[in-house]
Amino acid sequence: MRLRSEIILFFLLISVIPLSIVAYISYDHSREAISDSVMATLLGATENTGNAIDNWMGARKNDIRVVSQSKVVVCIDKKQLHEYFGSFQNEYRGVYREFFILDLNGSIIFSTLDRKGNAGSEQYFKEAANGKLFVSDPYLSESSSSSEMIIANPVKNNGTITGILAARVSLENLYRIIENIDIGKSGEVFIVNKDGNIVFNKNRSMILLLNIDNNYAVKEVTYEKNGIGEYVNYKGEKVLGSYYWLPLYRWGLIVEEKIDEAYSGVLTLGQLMVTVSILAVICVVFLALVISRRLTEPIKSLENGALGLVKGDFKPIPVSSTNEIGRLTEIFNQTATELLFMRKKLEDRIELANIDLEEKNRELTQANDELKKLDEMKSEFISLVSHELKTPLSTIKVSAEYLESDDKADPVERKEILRIIIRNIDRQTRMINEILDLSKMQAGKMEFQIENVDIGETVKVVLENIGRLALKKNIAISLDIPESLPDVLADKEKLIIVLNNLAGNALKFTPDGGRIVISAKDLGDSVEVRMKDTGIGIEKEKLEKIFDKFYQVDGTSRRKIGGCGLGLSIASGIIRAHGSEIQVESEPGSGSIFSFRLKKA
Amino acid sequence: MNSDSIDYRILELIKKDSNISNNEISKIIGVPENEIAARIRNFSDTRPKILIVDDEMDSLLPLKRSLERENYKVVEAYNGQEGLRKAAAEIPDIILLDLMMPGMDGYEVCNRLKKETALKNTQIIMLTAKDEVGDKVRGLDLGADDYVTKPFNLSELKARIKTALRRTRNL
Repeated sequence: MRLRSEIILFFLLISVIPLSIVAYISYDHSREAISDSVMATLLGATENTGNAIDNWMGARKNDIRVVSQSKVVVCIDKKQLHEYFGSFQNEYRGVYREFFILDLNGSIIFSTLDRKGNAGSEQYFKEAANGKLFVSDPYLSESSSSSEMIIANPVKNNGTITGILAARVSLENLYRIIENIDIGKSGEVFIVNKDGNIVFNKNRSMILLLNIDNNYAVKEVTYEKNGIGEYVNYKGEKVLGSYYWLPLYRWGLIVEEKIDEAYSGVLTLGQLMVTVSILAVICVVFLALVISRRLTEPIKSLENGALGLVKGDFKPIPVSSTNEIGRLTEIFNQTATELLFMRKKLEDRIELANIDLEEKNRELTQANDELKKLDEMKSEFISLVSHELKTPLSTIKVSAEYLESDDKADPVERKEILRIIIRNIDRQTRMINEILDLSKMQAGKMEFQIENVDIGETVKVVLENIGRLALKKNIAISLDIPESLPDVLADKEKLIIVLNNLAGNALKFTPDGGRIVISAKDLGDSVEVRMKDTGIGIEKEKLEKIFDKFYQVDGTSRRKIGGCGLGLSIASGIIRAHGSEIQVESEPGSGSIFSFRLKKA
Repeated sequence: MNSDSIDYRILELIKKDSNISNNEISKIIGVPENEIAARIRNFSDTRPKILIVDDEMDSLLPLKRSLERENYKVVEAYNGQEGLRKAAAEIPDIILLDLMMPGMDGYEVCNRLKKETALKNTQIIMLTAKDEVGDKVRGLDLGADDYVTKPFNLSELKARIKTALRRTRNL
């Protein structure tokens, strides 16, 4: 999980859980309190209503008791009775509909409405005749079809019941009083009789016409119980109701309030709580977002910076605060800068080392190539040398075998074969000497005996060596050596080898009928010896190589005169040992000039 | 033998008239009488014919003498070109071929000889101082029948020549 999500979750946990608990507890408490207060209101309303009914009924009973004891009634003075009841009715306008007096047989002997008749079978008559004040159950009057009841009381004269006073009392007055009692805006008051018929309700049309004994409160109250409870009323609404039995009148008093409305306060409170909680959660989340952003943003920057550093694309991270993270960022920036600097230095070094390595590698490759070439040349040389050594050997062997097997050979032929043997032995010896000279020179073991040498004399020795071959090839050798040429410092034997080799080469590469000129010249402190031929010449690119060991310009040309391609190498080595160099100038087709200088004696 | 070669024409004339004289043949063909005599001597010579191709004159002579004494007819050539020419003219039984020669070397000569249908019965023995295996394989690949390295024993060479001849003539 990412840091930011963790922080937000953490804030949510530490804020939402306690908040929810507190909200729930306070909601619960408030709900109870509200419920209590709603019930108290209901009970209060019930009590008030009950009191109002008691008061009113008490007043009515008192009225009848007082009236029944008044002289006018006792004496039954009809004229006075009208007057008396008239003022009474005026005083309680609308309450008393009729006063009437019955004799002991139940016949109406007086009525304020001048009504006649007998009520001997009525319960109120019987009860009153027994000497008790009696209040009848309410009923609907025939004339106005509004509810009324009869209150009857015996009329006594000196302790003897002489008649019955009864009054038809309209309940309208009581209803108005009840209606004026505050029972809350959704409260409803029912009064039911013992059978569950409605005696009072603000909906007058139901009075005494509707039986509602099917609901809980009515059942309870008609069992003469008191209490409070939640139930479904006759209309099918869920209500909270308080019920109270009034035994004096055999009435059940019920005050109901719809549950929704009763607890509307609770609901509002709950909504408020939820709203507040949601707001609080939003605040917490917002706060958590802000804080986590402030916390994680620099960390994220650090992370990006570190990633950039790894990928080699580092940019300094802006420091936005002075707290620990800000400090960490600063340190990171410094470290990264140093690291990059060191890396740059290392890279530079590596690059330098690489360049160096490449250079060395190139050198090595070149050296290797040269070595390989040298090796190839060496192999070729060895192959050549072995061939060259074996060829005369083979000739010698065949010749010797022939002579050995032939006892009666022709003496001329014998001589010829023997000459072949000697010639090939000489050739072999020359070749072996050449090879030995070269290997000595290579090992630096060639010994030089420097003395004063006369060039002219030396050249003559060489001429003797090559004269025969020159003659055979019809090549003219001319000398251009002054008589007065001073001696030079050199090893004579070696110098002869040099001149022999150079002259041999000149003969080798000069076609029949060509010319060779050997000349010497005094240059002041040294003497220059030149050998010029009219041979095939050497191409420019081959000029550098001709002094290399084993190198031959053309492998097959060699056969005309023999030799292993070591001549020039040996000559060059000898002259170098004299502190000089053999120079060569050549033009293909027109001949070559080899020259070297030797110090004067 | 070529139908228009001098030898063939000489042979045709002798077949027609066995008593014809050298002088008469010389007149008909237009070649000197002594050459006609030499040619007749030559193709009446039934000795096995060996062609030696080697640029080393010194080694050629004693070898030639030795082989002649063994009753072989020996023809010599001093370079590759000459060797090819003489092989075509003489149709030898055996060619002793040196490998290291200036100009055309022995390998090239061998290659060309093998393309001549007239020489299909000729045995080629390579004769050289080169004794590396690669050189021998190369020579044998090119169609050489045998390979002898210098310096060799004369008796060994003679034995090899006899073996080669046995292959061609069933001697």
